[in-house]
Amino acid sequence: MEKKRKKKKGNISLVFTNRMYVFLIPALLFFLILWIYPLLQLFYYSITDFNGINYDFDYVGFENFSRIFENGSMVNAIKNTLIYAVVVVVLSNLIGLGIAIALNTRIHFKGIFRTCAYFPALFSAIVVGFIWSYVYMPTNGMIAGLLDMFGMDGSKFNPLGSFTVALFAIAIVEVWKGFGTTMIIYLAGLQTVDESLLEAGRIDGCNEWQLTRFVKLPLISSTITINVILNVIAGLKAFDYSFIMTNGGPGSSTRTLMFQIYQMAFTDQQMGRASAFSVVSFFVIIVITVFMLFFMNKREVEL
Amino acid sequence: MKAKKVVSMLCVGAMAATMLAGCGGGGSDKSSSSEAASSGPYDEQAIENAGDITITMMVSGVATENDFETEVLPELVKEKWPNVTLEVTKLPDDNYYTTLKSRLSSGECPDIILTQPMYAGANACYTLADAGYLAPLNDLKWAEKMSDLSAVTYDDNIVTCTAGVSILGVYYNKDMFAECGITEEPKTWDEFLDDCATLKDNGYQPIVMGDKDMYVMQFGLYQIACNEVYAENPDYDDQLRTGDTHFTDEGTWDKVLEMYDELYENGYIDASQSLGIGASQAIQSFIDGNAAMTIDGSFNAPALMAEGAAGAFERGYFPIPAESGDTYTATCLSAGYSIYSGSKYIDECKELLDYWFDGESDIWQAYLATGKIIATYGEGSDQTANYELFAPFVDLMNEGKAFHWCNQAWPSGTETTMEEKFGELIGGQGTTVQDITQEMQTRFEDLM
Repeated sequence: MEKKRKKKKGNISLVFTNRMYVFLIPALLFFLILWIYPLLQLFYYSITDFNGINYDFDYVGFENFSRIFENGSMVNAIKNTLIYAVVVVVLSNLIGLGIAIALNTRIHFKGIFRTCAYFPALFSAIVVGFIWSYVYMPTNGMIAGLLDMFGMDGSKFNPLGSFTVALFAIAIVEVWKGFGTTMIIYLAGLQTVDESLLEAGRIDGCNEWQLTRFVKLPLISSTITINVILNVIAGLKAFDYSFIMTNGGPGSSTRTLMFQIYQMAFTDQQMGRASAFSVVSFFVIIVITVFMLFFMNKREVEL
Repeated sequence: MKAKKVVSMLCVGAMAATMLAGCGGGGSDKSSSSEAASSGPYDEQAIENAGDITITMMVSGVATENDFETEVLPELVKEKWPNVTLEVTKLPDDNYYTTLKSRLSSGECPDIILTQPMYAGANACYTLADAGYLAPLNDLKWAEKMSDLSAVTYDDNIVTCTAGVSILGVYYNKDMFAECGITEEPKTWDEFLDDCATLKDNGYQPIVMGDKDMYVMQFGLYQIACNEVYAENPDYDDQLRTGDTHFTDEGTWDKVLEMYDELYENGYIDASQSLGIGASQAIQSFIDGNAAMTIDGSFNAPALMAEGAAGAFERGYFPIPAESGDTYTATCLSAGYSIYSGSKYIDECKELLDYWFDGESDIWQAYLATGKIIATYGEGSDQTANYELFAPFVDLMNEGKAFHWCNQAWPSGTETTMEEKFGELIGGQGTTVQDITQEMQTRFEDLM
């Protein structure tokens, strides 16, 4: 009797009994086999010269790691990815927030404007990439044509062919496609702002800017965190437009971390080297994410 | 209650075992596949004696209406052998490479796969043969029809069955040439430069290239390399592997890169434009009459022969001429079909391939009718679409004045370094020809 009682005491919850843990096993197995196991394999392959096809590979120690730093590919990819991420985060949030504030006022055809702003997000990255390749095309492209129309030399407009501009040009495409989603999240945040607080602000003599800066923004600080984090993630995993629009070029000016990994693994068939690259990227992304979380949480409190 | 517990635990255990078995299948299948790889005369009645069988095949590309591989071929095979069902999967290039790798490592590769000659690409026949994935095809009767199969022969075993060649050359607008008073195709490098200058002086853009897709840089560079490097040393690439030659050797690749760069420096190819447009946009620009020439391959002939804004102007095709006038062509064996060494139907697949590539069968005729290959033997090979464009190249090849495309002999990735650095050179990033050859050499050694 005593033993039985003790056992019953061990069951803290009557709803989630111990035997319920058995039902976690399938999900846990999927997680282990499809996520943890490949991740561990990544670390394993990073010290080999595996080419993705021939399993008769050798162990090369940390040579893969030293090579990716020696030849500058890692530094170049990190630099490009960070620039891309910063452009995406800043522009997406400024444009998204600006439009959300504008479309949260009482204006006519609000629904149509909101739909239009969200429209680019509905297209796949491949379609958007192809369309923008033609928009950016020198001489016959849309922007070049417009420049010609206004008497400027459109043939000189060649953003994707420029070593200094190409990265920004593809980041703008990412912003164009993504700002609608950012805007929708901001709109949702803005609609949670209590009207009575705005009313109180107005009675205290606040103008619209002061209302936005000192009432609305602090109240949607968690929305800002979500949007910034989502855009940082989108920026760090940048691949689509480098692949579709520039193929990493001109030179290596638009090679991002993900593009470089793809090229090493599937074009150069250096699966081992690509694994080493992924391991380093893994830590770089963790550092950035942790930093962002700390920074954003602190900002939320300050706001 | 206890029984239920036991059953549920067993189910979970079985699931885990199934999944783990799926993950670990690669190793054991690989060993069995290498055992299956044997040579010797095959059973020419294998299909007839096989009963009802299904042969699987996987190729790369995009299926079109009435597609040869996915529609016509299975039907013709069924007509010839009612007991055979041919199941063909066609995947876009990148998907094909990744699917092929995963199917090979899981031991579930289709019986017939598309492979590239030598070391070209992720489905390179040398790489796959080295891993023991390809069955030897030495006993195919088709091999007797081909003059040089070295690009698909690994360790004395023919591993890819191909009948076609792929060519690199310069497509040109004959009407534009005639307008500028150019009546003949250039025979030397200097004549080629003179023609470019004449076209430019007459207000035409001499050459359009889609350098945004950097691989197109290979089209010009490989042709020049045939003339200036391989013509003098046919074993250059083999010697690269043994260390007897280097990309940095004076008068070899530095010369090739300098010659090609000359076209950019003189504005015959406008780098400020070409780096911003892709391969398909360059083709469009050529057929729209915005440029007199474009350097491209025979595989793009249908697109380059199509009518654009400039209408149906007459087009020609010539190899980039050598400095000396003794021109060679970058013409190589095109992609072909290999048999997976772990296949249950190796002899059946061989019988099928021998029938397909016999130079007269219905399948052969339908294969040629696609216009995608330039056949070097068999009935109707001269009926290939646009054959008049390609005939001079095939003649040069038959004279022994043709070399493989360089990337086929290099470890995959060397050419991307070459393209990346050459892009920097023409984009004015301060990269020199010596920097490029040095980078190519470093990369080559790294990839070896």
